[in-house]
Amino acid sequence: MNRRDFLRRSICGALGGVGLYGAMGNLKLLEAAIGSYGANAFSDYKALVCVFMFGGNDALNMVIPRSATHYAQYAAARATLAVPQSDLLPLVPVSGGGASDGASYGLQSATGGGGDVGMAGLQGLFNSGRAAVLGNVGTLVVPVTKAQYQSGTATLPPQLFSHNDQQTYWQTSRSDDPRNLGWAGRIADLLQDANPGADIPMAMSLNFESGLARAAFSNQYVIGSGGPRTIGELQWNADRRAAFMPLMAGGAQAHPLERGFATAFTRYMENAGAVTDALDGAPQLATAFPDSSLGQQLAMVARLVSVRAALGLRRQIFFVSMGGFDHHDRLLENQPGLLAELSQALAAFDAATVELGVDGSVTTFTASDFGRTLSSNGDGSDHGWGAHHFITGGAVRGGRFYGKMPTLANDGPDDAGWGQIIPTTSVDQYSATLARWFGVGESEIDLIFPNLGNFAARDLGFFSPAGGGSGAVRAAAGQSRRRR
Amino acid sequence: MEAWFMHALGGQNPFNATLVYRDQLRQRVAFALSQIFVVSDENSALSGQPDALASYYDVLVRNAFGNYRQLLEQVALHPAMGVYLSMQGNRKPHPELNIRPDENFAREVMQLFSVGLVMLDPDGTPKLDAQGRKIPTYDQFTVRGFAHVYTGWNMAGCEDTRFDWCWYYEHEAPAWRMPMSPYDDEHDSLNSKQLLRYPGVKLANGVLPAGGKARSDMKAALDNIFGHPNVGPFIGRQLIQRLVTSNPSPGYVRRVAAVFDNNGAGVRGDLKAVVRAILLDNEARHPGAQPPGFGKVREPLLRLTHGWRALDARTGTGRMSERNPAAYLAQAPLQAPSVFNFYQPDYMPTGELAMLGLATPELQLATDNMIPATQNAFGEEIFIYYLGNPDVGPDDISVNLARDAPLAATPAALVDRYDLLFMSGQMSSGMRQRLLARLNDIPNANDGRDRVQEALYFIINSPEYIVQK
Repeated sequence: MNRRDFLRRSICGALGGVGLYGAMGNLKLLEAAIGSYGANAFSDYKALVCVFMFGGNDALNMVIPRSATHYAQYAAARATLAVPQSDLLPLVPVSGGGASDGASYGLQSATGGGGDVGMAGLQGLFNSGRAAVLGNVGTLVVPVTKAQYQSGTATLPPQLFSHNDQQTYWQTSRSDDPRNLGWAGRIADLLQDANPGADIPMAMSLNFESGLARAAFSNQYVIGSGGPRTIGELQWNADRRAAFMPLMAGGAQAHPLERGFATAFTRYMENAGAVTDALDGAPQLATAFPDSSLGQQLAMVARLVSVRAALGLRRQIFFVSMGGFDHHDRLLENQPGLLAELSQALAAFDAATVELGVDGSVTTFTASDFGRTLSSNGDGSDHGWGAHHFITGGAVRGGRFYGKMPTLANDGPDDAGWGQIIPTTSVDQYSATLARWFGVGESEIDLIFPNLGNFAARDLGFFSPAGGGSGAVRAAAGQSRRRR
Repeated sequence: MEAWFMHALGGQNPFNATLVYRDQLRQRVAFALSQIFVVSDENSALSGQPDALASYYDVLVRNAFGNYRQLLEQVALHPAMGVYLSMQGNRKPHPELNIRPDENFAREVMQLFSVGLVMLDPDGTPKLDAQGRKIPTYDQFTVRGFAHVYTGWNMAGCEDTRFDWCWYYEHEAPAWRMPMSPYDDEHDSLNSKQLLRYPGVKLANGVLPAGGKARSDMKAALDNIFGHPNVGPFIGRQLIQRLVTSNPSPGYVRRVAAVFDNNGAGVRGDLKAVVRAILLDNEARHPGAQPPGFGKVREPLLRLTHGWRALDARTGTGRMSERNPAAYLAQAPLQAPSVFNFYQPDYMPTGELAMLGLATPELQLATDNMIPATQNAFGEEIFIYYLGNPDVGPDDISVNLARDAPLAATPAALVDRYDLLFMSGQMSSGMRQRLLARLNDIPNANDGRDRVQEALYFIINSPEYIVQK
C-alpha cells in the first residue's frame, strides 16, 4: 500500500470510526470527496467560534417567557428560581420568526450588583437580526418521548447528567469511538489540505485543549488570551538553546512518554513562532472588548481572525469557554453575572467582526454540558438535559426562534421525570447545520454525525440563504457558491 | 498556600521552632488524595475561605495513612466540601414549595470519590454485559436516593438560625473548621432511599428504609458506598497513577485492590497498607517487571517541590511569600478548575500515545500555552531565586546553589550528583554526553554557580527527567 492509500484509509478511519472504510462504505466515493477538499476547495473565508459554558447553563433562566400565561406557568414551575417578569428585556422576533409556543420571551436585565449590565448586548443582536435562539437542544441518539424515557425503552446517549460525559458528547456527537474525537477535529482532519501554506493548525482553543478540536491527525493550537507565550530570552539565549534543543529532536527519546512531551514541545515552538510573527502585523482594533475572561478570549480570537491571511488559513474553528454554570446553589445570585459576561463579550465580538469586514464569515454559537432542571432544589437547579442556545453572526437568519420550546410544567409532557427537559432538537442537527455552512459536504456530514439520519431535519435552517454555504463538491466542479 | 509549601518542603515551622515537618510521604499522599476528593478555591463561595480550605487539607493529611471509610466521612461532613458540592444547607423535599433535594454531592461522591461510573473487575477493567457494553454502577434512582440521604446538614452552630440563612462570612469562624451538624427538621425521614446495589450489599436490594435521622442515614449511606467492590480498584488505580505510573497493568491494580479489600489483618480500606502495596509492588520497583511505557509525566507542581527539596531551598525568615503556581504551572493545591481535577485520568494525546493506548493525564497540561510558562518559571527558580542573590526578598523560597558548586570544576561529578538527585541515576549516555559538552563549553565562573545553573536548567526541562520512571 503506498503512502497515499494509507493516508486516505487513515482519514476514512478518522472520519467514520475505526473501520477501514468507515461507517458508510464506498472508498472511491470517499477518495473523491477528500480530494475535493484540497487546496482549491474554498475561495472564501469562514470561521466557527464555539462558546462553551461549562457546568450546565440554566437556560430556562436565560431565555424566559414574558407573555402572561406562559410567564405564570414558568413562575409556578420554577418556584424559588423564577426571575421577576419586570426584569426581562424583550426579544422582538421578525415576522414569522416567533417562538413555536407563541409566547414572547425576554432576557435578564441589569441586576442590582455593580458591574452587571444584564443581557442587553444579546438582546440587541437578536432584535437587529444578528442572533437566533435555538430552543431545547440537547444530546440525543434518536428522538425520545417521555413515555419511552420513563419505560426505560429509549436509546439514550451514555451517562446523561454526568458533566464530563455530556461535555464530551456535545463536542463529539457520538459515543462509538473511544478516541472521542471532536466533530471540529474530524473536520480539521478532512480539511487538512484546504489551508495550503498554513503555518498553524486550523483548530484553536483558548487557554486549554478542547474535546471539540481533538483530531486523529491534526493538532489543535492552544493559545492564551494574552497571546502566544514564548520562553523568555533571558534564560533562553542562543547557546543554551542550541545545546538543549537536540534533547527534543525527533528520534532522540527512548521512551514513548518522553516522545510525547518532546512532540508537544516542538509543536509549541513552531506554532509560537508563526503566530507571533503574524500577530506582529495585526491591525489595531477600535472595538473595545470587556475585561472579563470571555471578553479577553474573544479579543484574541478577533486578532487571530484579523491575521488569517498571514497564517494561511481560509477555514478556522475556535473554542472559547466560561466556567461556573453548575448552579446547584444560589442560581439567582450567581447566574446573572455570568450571563452578563456572555452577552457583553458576544456583542463586542460581533462588533469586531463587522469592523474587520468578516461578519458574514464568522459564526459564533453557544454550547453547554446540558440545561438544568425546571424544578428547584431550594436555591438552585440540578443537572438537566435540553437547553436553549444562541447562534450569532452576519450569516445567521437572526431575530428568530428555531426548534420547539418546551412546556414549562413540572411533570408536564416534556419533563423526563425529575425536572430534566427532554430535548426536541439534537446536538447532531445543531452541529451539522454549522458544519454544512462551514463547507462540509453531505456525505462527509453523515460520516462525522452518524446519528443525524435518525432525525427529521438535517438542517435547522438558521443560515441564509436557507440551506447552507459553499459545498466543497460544488467548488471542485467549478461552481463556487459564494454568499451574496 | 504558604502552609502547603511549608509542609511540602519540610523543615522548621517559623512560628514554633520545635515543630519540624518530616512527614514527606504523608504529605505526598495527601496531595494525591486532594486530586481525588477535589475541593477547589476556584469556587466563588470558597475563594474567601482560606481557613476552611486549610482545615479540609488537614483532613486529607490526617487520614492519609488511616482508613478510607473514615476519610470518606470526614470529607463528606467538612464544610468546605459541603459548600463545594452543595450538600451544606440541602433541604428535604418541600412539594408545596416545588423544591427537591440537591443531587450534586450525591452524584459526584459516587462518580469521583468512590465507585466510578461503570462496574469494574478487581483488576480495574470495566465489566461488560452480554452485548459487550459497560455496565453503569448507578442510575438516576440511586442518585435521587442518596440526594435524599444528604439532607439536613449545615454549618455548626445554626440551631437558632433559619436553615437557609445559616452561613459565616468571617473566614476565621470556628464553624469553617468543624464538621457540619445535622438538623433533623430538614432531613428526609419520610422516604425510603434507593442506594447502591451490588453482590453482598448489606441493605436488602440496596434500599435504605425510611425513618432514619440525618446522622444514621449518612452512616448507612457511606457504609453502603464503602462496601461496593468497585472502591478498591477505582481508588487504587488512581493512587497508582498519582504515585507511580499512568498505565498500571491489570495485575498491579488487582494486587493493590486486594490489599484495599483486606490489609492482611481482615481490615477493609486501610490506606497505609494500600500506599505500601503501591510503592513496594514489583511493578513499581523492578524494570524487568514493568510493561512498556511504564512511568508517568511528573506533575509541574511536583517538579517544583522536587527541585526545592533536592536543592535545600529555604527562605531567609522561614515565612514563604505568596506565590501563585497556577499561573505558570497550571496547578496549585486545592485550585483545580473543577471537581474533575487538573486532568482526566484517561487523557491520551493525538499521535503515538493514542495509538499505543497509553494514558498520560499530566500531558494534558503541556499545552502551547503552558510549556513556555513552565519552562520560564523553572528558569527563574534557577537563575534568580537562589540563596545569596541580593535581588531576592527574605520571604522568597530560594535554592542552595553553593552547596554543589565545588563539583562544577569537574563537570562529570556535577552531572553524576544531579543524575542521582533528580533522575535516580537513569540519565541516558546520550543526554550525559550533551550535558557534559555544554558544561565544558562554558567557563567555570561565579564560583561554580554558572555551571550548576546550566546543569539544572538542562535537566529539569529535559524529557528524560520530566518522565518519572
